[in-house]
This record gives sequence, C-alpha cells and structure tokens, in this order.
Amino acid sequence: MGGEVTARHLVLIAAVVQGLFVAALLLLIVINRWVRLRRRDAVRPRREAAEEQFRRWAAGDADVDAVASALVRLPSAIAVERLAAWSSLVPTDRWPALAQALSRASWGEKLRRGAKSRRWWKRLQSARFLAAAGVAEDVPTLARLIKDPHPAVHLAAVSALNYVSSAELAEAAIDELPMLPIHVGMYFAMALKRGRQVAVPLFDQRLSRMDDPALARIAEYAARLQEPSLRPRFTALAKHPNKEVRAQAARALGALPHTESQAALLTLLADEAWVVRAQAARGLGLLAPPAALPGLRKALRDPEWWVRLRAALALTRFGGAGRDALVQEERGPNAGARNTTELVLGLSPQALAEYAT
Amino acid sequence: MTHLIPAVEALILVYFVALNSFYGLLLLMSIPEVWEQTRLAEDEDLQKLMLSDALPPLTIMVPAYNEGETIQASVTAMLTLEYRQYEVVVVNDGSKDDTMQRLRDAFDLYEVPRIYPETIITKPIRAVYRSRSRTRLTVIDKENGGKADGLNAAINASRYPLVIAVDADTLIEPDALLRLTRPFLLGGNVAAVGGTIRVANDCTVQHGRVLDPRVPRSFLPGVQVVEYLRAFLFGRLGWNRLGGNLIISGAFGLFRREYLLTIGGYLTNSVVEDMDVVVRLHRHLRERKIPYVMPFIPDPVAWTEVPSSLAVLSRQRERWHRGLIASLWTYRDMLFNPRYGQVGLVAVPFYVFGEMLAPVVEVIGYVIAVIAVATGRVDPVFAILFFLFAWGYGLCLSIWGVVLEETSFRKYRRSGDLGRLLVYALLENFGYRQCTVWWRLKAFWAAWRRRKTWGEMTRTGFGGPPRQSRLYAQSPSGMWQKVE
Repeated sequence: MGGEVTARHLVLIAAVVQGLFVAALLLLIVINRWVRLRRRDAVRPRREAAEEQFRRWAAGDADVDAVASALVRLPSAIAVERLAAWSSLVPTDRWPALAQALSRASWGEKLRRGAKSRRWWKRLQSARFLAAAGVAEDVPTLARLIKDPHPAVHLAAVSALNYVSSAELAEAAIDELPMLPIHVGMYFAMALKRGRQVAVPLFDQRLSRMDDPALARIAEYAARLQEPSLRPRFTALAKHPNKEVRAQAARALGALPHTESQAALLTLLADEAWVVRAQAARGLGLLAPPAALPGLRKALRDPEWWVRLRAALALTRFGGAGRDALVQEERGPNAGARNTTELVLGLSPQALAEYAT
Repeated sequence: MTHLIPAVEALILVYFVALNSFYGLLLLMSIPEVWEQTRLAEDEDLQKLMLSDALPPLTIMVPAYNEGETIQASVTAMLTLEYRQYEVVVVNDGSKDDTMQRLRDAFDLYEVPRIYPETIITKPIRAVYRSRSRTRLTVIDKENGGKADGLNAAINASRYPLVIAVDADTLIEPDALLRLTRPFLLGGNVAAVGGTIRVANDCTVQHGRVLDPRVPRSFLPGVQVVEYLRAFLFGRLGWNRLGGNLIISGAFGLFRREYLLTIGGYLTNSVVEDMDVVVRLHRHLRERKIPYVMPFIPDPVAWTEVPSSLAVLSRQRERWHRGLIASLWTYRDMLFNPRYGQVGLVAVPFYVFGEMLAPVVEVIGYVIAVIAVATGRVDPVFAILFFLFAWGYGLCLSIWGVVLEETSFRKYRRSGDLGRLLVYALLENFGYRQCTVWWRLKAFWAAWRRRKTWGEMTRTGFGGPPRQSRLYAQSPSGMWQKVE
C-alpha cells in the first residue's frame, strides 16, 4: 500500500498467522470430537443390526443376503473388521455362501478395486476384505497382494489361505518365504499350515531342489507344518552339504517319529557342525528311541557347551536309563560332561520342563 | 561491545529460526506417521495375532531396588499381560528392604542353578529363583550395582530374542506388548522399538492397571502431561522419518537381545543408560553397516508417576540434562560425522544444538533482549511482539501434541480433561518453561563438576501412602534416572 514494511510488521503478521493457526487447531479438536460422537451414534444401531444378522445366520435362522445387506449399511472399515471377526466364528463350509453374496454387491466391488490402488491403506482394506470374503476369481488379486511391498498388506492377504484353498496362493506365499523377516515368515508358515492341503505338495516340490540357495529357509518353514508326508524329504536333506539345511532337517525330524528319522538323527549327532549336533540331540530327545542312548551319552562329552546341554536335557526324557547315564557321566572323568550333568540333574521338574523345550 | 551485541543478536535470531523451523519439520513429519500408525493400530486383528506363533517371544526385565511396598502388585500385573510367550525377569538389586522376601512369599520361589552364560559382567549374583505358581517368572537376587547392572543381569538370564526393560512401578497396558511387537511382524530389520510413556498421576489405578486416565488437576503434573504428549506424539513420531530416534524410553523400550549382548549391555557408569545404550546401538550398527530401523510407535502405552513438587521436579530435570550433556560429550565424535548417516548428520546435531544448548541460548537471548531494549537499540513494542510470537510458536507445538492425541488415540475422553490440557498448554510458557531453563542451566555446572549424585524422589504411589525410595524415573525425552 506504499508504506515501508518493518520488522514490527513482519512479526505482527507472523503473530496473526499463529493466532489463526491456534484457532484452527482448537476448532479441529472441537469438530473432531463432535464428528466422532455423531458417527458413533449413527453407526451403533447399524452395527448392532449387522451383529444380529450374523448371529442369526450362524444359528441358521437368517438368509445370507440379509447378512450381506446389513454389512453394506456399515462404513466399509467397520464392515471389513466385523467380517474378519466373524470369519473365525462361522463354520468354514458355510462361509463361501456369504463370500459369494458379497461378491455380487457393489460395495464388494469397490473394495476389490482398492487392490489396485496406489495407497497402501486402500490395498490393506482390500486385502482384509478378500482374505475374509474372497472367491475363486479373487485368487490372482490375492496372489498379487501377498507380494505387496507394504508388510501390512501382504500379512492381511496371506490370511486368505485360511479360507481359500488355492495352489496359486500357496505358491505365492512360499515364494515370498525366503525374503521375509523371521517373524513374518512364521506368520506366513502358520497360514500355510492351515492351508496344508495345497501347501504340502508345493513344499515337497521345493524341498527337492537341492541346489536352491533358499533351501534352509524353506526347510525351516516346512518343518513347522510337522507333515509326515514330508519326512522322506527331510531325511534326504540330512545329507545336504549345507550345515544350515542339515540343522533344519534335524529340527524337523525330531517332530516326525519314524525309524528313518531316528537313523538320520543318529548320523547327524556325529555331524562336523555343532549346530547340527545340537539339533540332532534335541530331536533324539523328542523321539527318545533307546538306540540313541549311547550316542547321546557320548554327546555329553562334546567340546561344544550347547551340544552337551542339549544332550543332557534329551537324556532326561529317557526315564531311568537316561538318568543312569547322566549320573554316571556326573562322576566320570570328562569335566565338561560333569558340569553339564550336574546342572541338569539339579533342575527341578518344573525348570526341566521349561528348559527342555 | 558495540559490535558484539548485534552479532549475538543475529546469531540468536538465526538459532531461533533454525530450531523452530526444525520443530516445524518434525511437526509436519508427525502427520503422516501418526496417520499411518493409527491406521495400523486400528486395522490389524490383534486377537488373531495374539493366537499366532508369529509373535516373537520376549523377556520383560524388571530391576527393583527397595520396592517391597509395590513389588507384588507390579509383578502380578506384568505376569497377566496379553501376550502369548513371554517371561518376566525381576532383578532384586541388593534391596535393603523386604523386596526379596515379599517376592519369595508371593510367588513361591525355588532356587535353580544358573545354566546361562554370563556374557555381560555384573555384580555377584546371590541366587536365581523360579516360581512354582508362575512359571513365567524368574527372580535374580544380586548385590547392589545400580539399574544398569540389574538390567545387564536380566539380559544374561533372559531366554528370548527380544528384551524389554521396565521400571518396577511402571504400569503397562495389557495389550501394550502385543502392540510393541508390531514392527517385528511388519518386517524390516528392527533393532529396537520405543513405546509411549504417559503420566499416571490422578488416574484411577487398580491392580496395577490404569482404569480411568485423567489429566491431573494440579498444575505441575498436569503441565507434564502436555510435555509428554508433545515429546512422544510429535517429537518422536517426527524423528521416525528423519533418521530414527536417538532415545528410546528405558521405561518402555523393546530391544533385540543379541544387539545388546554385542555392545556389552547397559553402561553401569552412565547417568542416562537408556540414551547411552541407544546411541551405542546406532553407532555399532552404522559402523558395521548393518541395516536396521529403530521406530517409535505411539499406541503401546506405559504409565508412570511424575514429580508433583517443584523441588523434586527441579532435581529431576537437572539430572536429565546432566545426563544428556554427559552422553553427547561421550559420543561427540558422531557429531556431523557422515559415517553415522542421518544419526550423525541430523539427530546428534539436533540434540547438541537444539536440546543441550537450548537453555544457554535462551538465557543469553533474554539478557540481550533486556540490554537491547534498555539501550534503545530495539523498540520495546517490537520486543513484546517478538516475545508473543515465540510464545505463540511454543503454544502451537503444545496444542499440536493435543491435536495428535485427540485425532488418534484419545486416552482422555472427558471434556474437562481436554480443557485442562489446553489450559496447561497455554500457561506452560509463563514461568514453567523459564524454570526448566534454569534447572537445565544448573546441569551444566553439575556436569562441569562431574557430579554423580542422584537426588531424592518422593512418590505417592498408586493408592498407597507417600514413600521415598531410590527409584528409576523416566523423562519425556526418555532418559532413565536413578533417584535416591
């Protein structure tokens, strides 16, 4: 306006802007509270209606379309959350009917389209919806979501294996396993365990690829299925040149009682790598075959502390014979064996039960 | 002198603009973070995860010194958290009261041999106990060595890959562990995770659980609620996007045990062992080029009691700042060192110039302003406007903390609590802030004299009579303080 702008003017402008900002923040707080309250009051009856329809449907008193239409009336985030919650309460054989009903609704279509969104939270909602209400046509979408770069999305998508029996989905999950951090991998393995019907043949195939650099990781997760039909594969892996693979084989065989498992574990008890010997000792403790007693007693004199401890803990599972072996080694000439057996024999049953797992 | 004052004025102005711009940046960075974290916290099916094998097992480490009054309730609360596989390792750090006897009586302890290797050297351990009634509980009875030494003993004894250090009188929300492990389930190379500490004064507490969160009616604890909200909800969230936090609360932080063992655990001669351990962890991982993240996530909550008297608060703040100075001095080679990436180039410089030196600059600013107005160099109206501007900026940051709380986790649901929060935010810069500046300034003198005393802390406890004991208190900036 022609006048000179001084520092005082600048500070004054900044103060006014700040004042407006503070006022806007206060307004935001008030509006946020008001909107939340209104939304809660508006959604509550619709949510209760949907719950009622779910209960009636689960009891066989309501039509599946009634549940679908009650869900459509809810905000999509709440509807997906309720869907996911009820999916674990309703018998699996009845669930596909609801999934089909929802696949026809425009609401379901909208959520499906979210799978292609560039926004991770839209893909997450889509993955959660499809994991609970996916149908056969959704398998390629779910397989893509399992490989999604956002961890929350692929974790949500892999839950689909609980309800959708698909080799394509299981394969996508198994392909991801070697790249995943350990805990995420375990979550995937848990989902694969629930979908074992399709997962086991795929694991069988992957475990036969002896030159696969990710074999140790695949074996680790395959072991979690505790699937007897995979036992021959693990027995074969006991001779693998990679010690990590042999250790995973030893870990798996301990949960698969069979004479061949025992024989393989006894061989692994003399392995050159101490991690393999320790796992073999643990596995033999779980199977507790009498033939393993001499080998485990010898392992009490192993140069590696961890192998000695595993062997001593394993021997506690052999009853009187195992205890006798421990007592004899406690009085024997080997200092390592003496110390370890002294420790293990001093454990109370409660402590032993905990340490031995 | 005529040239010095304008130069100092200019320097202070530059400092003011730079620091507040950085706070503005943190504020902006906190928006997508709180949004993402709120989404994740709401969307994930916690019950499903709770039943899964994917949850990493963890050890809760509880160092206790003269905690006889509250130890049973605290440990019982920790033993009933919602988590699939965890253990609680309580370390009786040579208590002079009946802490050990109370643990023995309450949990039917029996002695077990030590079968774990003592990787970190600690003060002699008298005995290790397990509980007949609570199989998750291990109690270590050792000679007094301080909080860090107790934690090191617990790290040695822990059986699980993740460890979390909590104070014996910290109240953990039942689902907090579950939430704290979310970053591990969501992948990434997580080295440590920090959770939120909130103020428990005036809250209704029963059986070690906060049933009704309230904003205290008294000014001192109340204004600390605003401080904590600001520090945790926007400060630390903002840091998630600016290279990671330099501090993870010792009262409520989850660490990968193998990393703690590698760096030798907590330093027993550090005033702020929690800041020290995080800085050393950054240093170790950066030097070895190990990829990692140390995120802060806001929804896992632990509650702690804060000082409600000026005398105690002043000692606490002086100690916190003394610890900050000592730590930053110890690791001064990280300052502007590109070898440490964003930690060396952003986080450490911020803590040195924006946190450690802030009280010094602020006092110089006050003095220069008074001189400038008195000598007629600055127009008094301009000085008042500038002061109002600075106060307004501080107010914006505090209210922003309240906004983030309101739009995300909303622990304080009553309108009265919200009103009190806003009033405290408004009043914080009149008197209270200047007091904290003075207390922090005193820390420089104490640090110069290498003072090692811990001070005194009176806590009213949750429902019990007031007690004086050596405790491990928690600062909003996350530093543990041993208080005697």
